[in-house]
Amino acid sequence: MTPKKRPLILGTLLVGTLFLSACGPGDGAGSDTASVQADSVEAGDAGMITVYTGRHYGIEPVFAQFTADTGIEVRFTTGNDPELRERLIAEGANTPADVVMTADAANIELSADAGVLASVNSDILTETIPEELRSEANDWFALSQRARVIIASTERVENPPTTYADVGDPEWQGKLCLRPSTHPYTQSLVASIIVAEGEERATEIVQSWVDNDPLYIDSDTEIYKAVAEGECDVAIANTYYLGRLLTENPDFPVGIVWPEQDGRGTHINVSTAAVTANAPNPEGALALIEWLATDGQQQFANANFEYPVDPNVEPSEIVASFGQFTADLDAVRQLGGNQPAAVMVLSATGYE
Amino acid sequence: MVHAAIAVALSVPLLVIVWSIVQPSTEVWQELWATRLPGMIRETAILLIMVLAGTLVLGTALAWLVTAYQFPGRRVLGWLLVTPLAIPGYVLGFVWLDALQEPLGARGVRSIWLCALVLTITLYPYVYLFARAAFREQSQRAVDVARSLGCSRAMAFWRVVLPMARPSLAAGVALVGMEVLTDIGTVRLFNVSTIADGVLRVWFGTGNRDAAAEFAVLLIAVAIVLIATERLARGRARFTQTGSRAGLHVEWLYGARAATASAIGWGAFTIAVALPVSRLIAWALEARRTDQTSTVSGDLGFHLISSLQVTVVATLACLGLGLILVAGLNRRRASGSLLARLATLGYTVPGPVVAIGVLVTLAAVDRLGWLPDGWLLVGSFVGLIYALVVRFLAVAYQGMEASITKVSPSVVASARTLGAGRFRVATRVELPLAGAGIIAASALVAMDMLKELPITLILRPFGIETLPIWVWQATSESLWVQAAVPSLAIVAVGMVLVAVLLWALERGAERVSREGRTPDQVLQGKGGHDRA
Repeated sequence: MTPKKRPLILGTLLVGTLFLSACGPGDGAGSDTASVQADSVEAGDAGMITVYTGRHYGIEPVFAQFTADTGIEVRFTTGNDPELRERLIAEGANTPADVVMTADAANIELSADAGVLASVNSDILTETIPEELRSEANDWFALSQRARVIIASTERVENPPTTYADVGDPEWQGKLCLRPSTHPYTQSLVASIIVAEGEERATEIVQSWVDNDPLYIDSDTEIYKAVAEGECDVAIANTYYLGRLLTENPDFPVGIVWPEQDGRGTHINVSTAAVTANAPNPEGALALIEWLATDGQQQFANANFEYPVDPNVEPSEIVASFGQFTADLDAVRQLGGNQPAAVMVLSATGYE
Repeated sequence: MVHAAIAVALSVPLLVIVWSIVQPSTEVWQELWATRLPGMIRETAILLIMVLAGTLVLGTALAWLVTAYQFPGRRVLGWLLVTPLAIPGYVLGFVWLDALQEPLGARGVRSIWLCALVLTITLYPYVYLFARAAFREQSQRAVDVARSLGCSRAMAFWRVVLPMARPSLAAGVALVGMEVLTDIGTVRLFNVSTIADGVLRVWFGTGNRDAAAEFAVLLIAVAIVLIATERLARGRARFTQTGSRAGLHVEWLYGARAATASAIGWGAFTIAVALPVSRLIAWALEARRTDQTSTVSGDLGFHLISSLQVTVVATLACLGLGLILVAGLNRRRASGSLLARLATLGYTVPGPVVAIGVLVTLAAVDRLGWLPDGWLLVGSFVGLIYALVVRFLAVAYQGMEASITKVSPSVVASARTLGAGRFRVATRVELPLAGAGIIAASALVAMDMLKELPITLILRPFGIETLPIWVWQATSESLWVQAAVPSLAIVAVGMVLVAVLLWALERGAERVSREGRTPDQVLQGKGGHDRA
């Protein structure tokens, strides 16, 4: 070793030692969070709010508009719904999060069960959002609806299935695409079937899907493409992905069937928002949710080709072109409670 | 004292997880055993066997090719064959998934075979590096003896060269095994249901964190079996070289044989690196045309800086802590070794599980309120770095352990006799002698930090959005084009780290000829080599 190399090694040691001391209570990086909290407390009703969001597609322009309208800054972090929930639970009273947003109903219900959400009293929210689309305790609110429908090739399928049970018809043997059971959309769909038809019947239906030897694809976009390219004829997917695909190619050869129109209606899931139980800035949090339900409602729903929760707000043009449908509103509040049963059913039938 | 404190601090998050088995969630387990668990164990075993066999054959064969034969382009190829290390499995996975979708069909492409193939071509460099170092270390003398006893060149390889390289190969393969066991991103892309995937299935599906933690313990158990197998495979073998250190005789290849040798090497490089990278470049150009080269959080520069901050600080932290642990090992062997094992347990646990263990631990500390008013560890930069160190310290530690503990005790004793203090011995004797090995270990651990996704996703502070987070945001919506720019950036930084690694290894090799030490000490440790 030549002498000139020594400073490098000494430097390395030094930095290592410095890091060790930084691990201790004299932690400098933590002050970032602290100063933000202090700001929001001082600023009272305005200032800044912090959002944990499991929905991360097209959310930012909406937040930017909110800030422009109200002067309240939004700081957000994205992640998977269950992981954000674990973080919220672990942080407890120390959480910097004011608002938590999820991409499905079951995950927000689990957060409610864990006691990390606050009940709020808001005439604006109770008036704009239908009763079925908010929790009984008013500790979470749906902000947009996503319909999970049957999709079929417009080129190869003349009589597509019209109920979720029909998807299990042997006619679709080897021609069916489904999303794996790891995904909340699949779990929620099965939970809604349990709510409507009971666990025994739900097991039969899911078993009939599995017997059709479906191709499992963990992406709704890829499922649409698989139907378009002839990998399968029939599948179950959310409508808003078709919205995206139609903007790219207006002649995309896949059509939508609204299932269960003679009965309970099409399964819908919801994007939700809630004020956290330990929000440092609960006023700001409520302001965001109220804004999303009213002034921001159209932009929020349209950003992802979803359906607004306020019946007086029009969906986007492409979404409107999918047609009117009856939605299975009754199940929405019960999706969370039935999710564990749904996971059991999926598991017992050998659904991938 | 310091060593014990570090070991405890780094193992608490994992003990939190292990503690869950004290009160097992019997119902969940019964249900799982009746349904998915047997399938998960089977798929994990099949995947593991295929990838271990694949990387062993590919890594060893390529290492032998570039060590024992001389042909045009051999030197460059020797370096390029390491470069797949720079490409994360989840990136290679989605590139190949998309590319093979058309010829194989959406159904055909989602298979355990392709998953094994993708994992093999991303992970073989570990075996390759170990094998190459082991082959370089061998002297021609043993081969000559074998030849004089009537062995052909091929027989000499199978009977002499390969058995002597066995300890190194086992170490490389054990490392590959850890990566396969804890992988989540790649297996999910190909619908392969492994135990690591099962941990998340249970946890996200039922919200039952305890049951998920118990599952993770199962994974730790499998990892321990794997490590034990490696020890067995290595046996009591300790090979030392005697006499001339001339190295193996290199055979010149000409004509068709040279062409074949080049074709094999370049073929592997093409599949693992050239094709995927060119596809990423095509996508990145499309992203540029359609203006998708930034996210709402910021442009490429912003994400790159986030990634570099995390990578550099976490690597330095591993380096500092690793050195302290190794120092403890030199002084008190038995307890030092145990403490070190405890501190490096995180390498056998999938990222999301480590993240939850850390989350629970740090949140408990935050609740104690020992920190100055309002300062929190959860969601802080320090919290993130801590979690990354818990997960990856093993990678840095093993490499450093191997190179530092090989500094001869007599050299240290001489220095002490001459009046040098402990610190002076460390900085003037031990570190300079082990320098190249430490740099190589740092490059390897930096590579892991650069590619890390699940821990960063759960624990990152506001304002830190690394390149893998960007990749995740795009790929979770199947937007491959959007994922191309951050993926390429990861690969580019990764290539720099590969260059550092290679430079350190070459330096280590040079040093051997000057000081009579062996080059593969630099690497050997990564897979958990005992001190010889």
